Amino acid sequence: MQWSWIPQNWTIIWPYTLDNALLGLVPPLIGLLISVPVGIACVAKRWLYPPVLSLASAIYALPSLALFVVLIAYTGLGNLTVIIPLTLFSLCVLIPNVVDGLRSVSEPVRQAATAMGFTQLRRLVQVELPLAVPVIIAGLRVAVVSSISLASLGQLIGVSSFGYFFIDGLQRDFPTEIYVGLALTILLALICDLILVGSRALLTPWARGRRIAPSPLTPGPPPAVR
Amino acid sequence: MITFETVTKRYPDGTVAVDALDLAIPDGKIMVLVGPSGCGKTTSLRMINRLVEPTAGRVLLDGENVADVDPSRLRRGIGYVIQQTGLFPHRTVEDNIATVPLLNGWNKRRARDRAHELMDLVGLEQATMARRYPHQLSGGQQQRVGVARALAADPPVLLMDEPFSAVDPIVRAALQDELIRLQAELHKTVVLVTHDVEEAIKVGDLVAVFRPGGHLAQVDTPERLLGAPVDDYVRDFVGFDRGIRRLSFFPAAGLDLDTDTVLPATTTIADAIAAAKQAGQTWLLVVDAAGRPLGWAAAADLESAPAGAALAAVELASVGHTFRPDADSLRAALDATILSRTERAVAVDDHGQVIGTTSYERLRDAIRAAEDAADRRTGDRSADRPRQAAGGAR
Repeated sequence: MQWSWIPQNWTIIWPYTLDNALLGLVPPLIGLLISVPVGIACVAKRWLYPPVLSLASAIYALPSLALFVVLIAYTGLGNLTVIIPLTLFSLCVLIPNVVDGLRSVSEPVRQAATAMGFTQLRRLVQVELPLAVPVIIAGLRVAVVSSISLASLGQLIGVSSFGYFFIDGLQRDFPTEIYVGLALTILLALICDLILVGSRALLTPWARGRRIAPSPLTPGPPPAVR
Repeated sequence: MITFETVTKRYPDGTVAVDALDLAIPDGKIMVLVGPSGCGKTTSLRMINRLVEPTAGRVLLDGENVADVDPSRLRRGIGYVIQQTGLFPHRTVEDNIATVPLLNGWNKRRARDRAHELMDLVGLEQATMARRYPHQLSGGQQQRVGVARALAADPPVLLMDEPFSAVDPIVRAALQDELIRLQAELHKTVVLVTHDVEEAIKVGDLVAVFRPGGHLAQVDTPERLLGAPVDDYVRDFVGFDRGIRRLSFFPAAGLDLDTDTVLPATTTIADAIAAAKQAGQTWLLVVDAAGRPLGWAAAADLESAPAGAALAAVELASVGHTFRPDADSLRAALDATILSRTERAVAVDDHGQVIGTTSYERLRDAIRAAEDAADRRTGDRSADRPRQAAGGAR
């Protein structure tokens, strides 16, 4: 471990960190935009949920590298080629959490809202979605952390990320670079996670000091095996 | 006026929850639907605000079929309170209460002002409660918020589904009293569902007793339900001590009171003995200068006391419970009499001044007279009671 390597290479560490953060955050956010309507549909039409869940799991089982290779033909060697697969992978965590979050709204609350004259749409926007936020954010945390870790694979097709340090370190037989890449990945994941925990506290002041039912998270296989 | 016209609810699996129900609920009254679980009372309630749609028949609200009204608009004019409160966990107390005004397009400030008025009305302290979330309240407080929320848009109709079943008996009694007090002020048309016949008799102006299978057994005033149950089912349902409970509905004002055995503490023993003899009574009630009761003097004890002394000098038995003929029922008077060692109870006015005393004999006469009067009303019932109150099973 050569500590002096870090300050000397600050100018390359910083841009790679920003690029990896982008690849870690954008896919879960797009995934969220997709998961909310899909989750709502799955709650409204119960029969829809099992096939959607199977499809999301099947997509998650696809090797990311294979997806990159297929996508290169359409989206070239740019960020999009990495963002699309990572977005699809995030659905496997986010859709179940949106569904569970919406289902966590108790029947009396739902019934009271209806009986007070909420239309279905209004009930969804003003009651059900706000109450689902803690469970949805729990899913988002898993999706973001896994996305940050998976993003390094983008380097294999030349999309800049922490993957650069692993490949470069391996080729030059220079372990320091690999350790730095690992440490940065963990650090970035922790920071993003903290931001999400903070935003949950801001979005759900009502949940403070209140025991929320433990979110039935459905994490896929550990991202590290990829 | 809410009218059920041969309303039936049959579920796809063939279960009949409500069977050809005819019921009219008059304006400004508390109508309690009571019965064992599975008798269709909650289903009936939910057909009023269209949470459940009838399979056959019509539910009319002020002559208009509710099925013809847009559900959201209909529901904003009907308050709804449920056992589990259904408060929004993510909204503060004031915002929970402001829900329907906000839905009706009021601005936030006006809706909150309204919420604060309602907090006062239902006895929730604004300063400490307004900004709390529901989970920070006790069960009784949550239910008060639920009632306030239902009343926020001043709906003419209030539906309550087992509103007080989830709280402990002491809180429940307080909430029931609160409902009676609110209703005296607001005159809503209230439909309340409960499985607790005591609650039905306590809060109801009218009580509809349901049988299993969604049939009505009897619709009547609580007093009539206790005094003249139509059949064994209703008799069993209202319970075994209905004779005593019925006395709650007879005012104690009709009671003849003894006044010649009430003596000021300054009366001499000799005069007191004379008074007891003349009245033929064994106990004398001694009162102070302001007319408030001090205690009972036993006539037998007076003989051994010096004839010239004042009544204040003898040992007095405790007054015990008193009752107010202007406010209490014969049940309260009877209760006070039973609890008294002297087999007599003291009637006082609202200042606590003694009006007179009563005994078992006088109570017996008053009870008999009240029952006779009630039974005479029964005879005229078909003539002068509105058809809907008679209701009936089909």
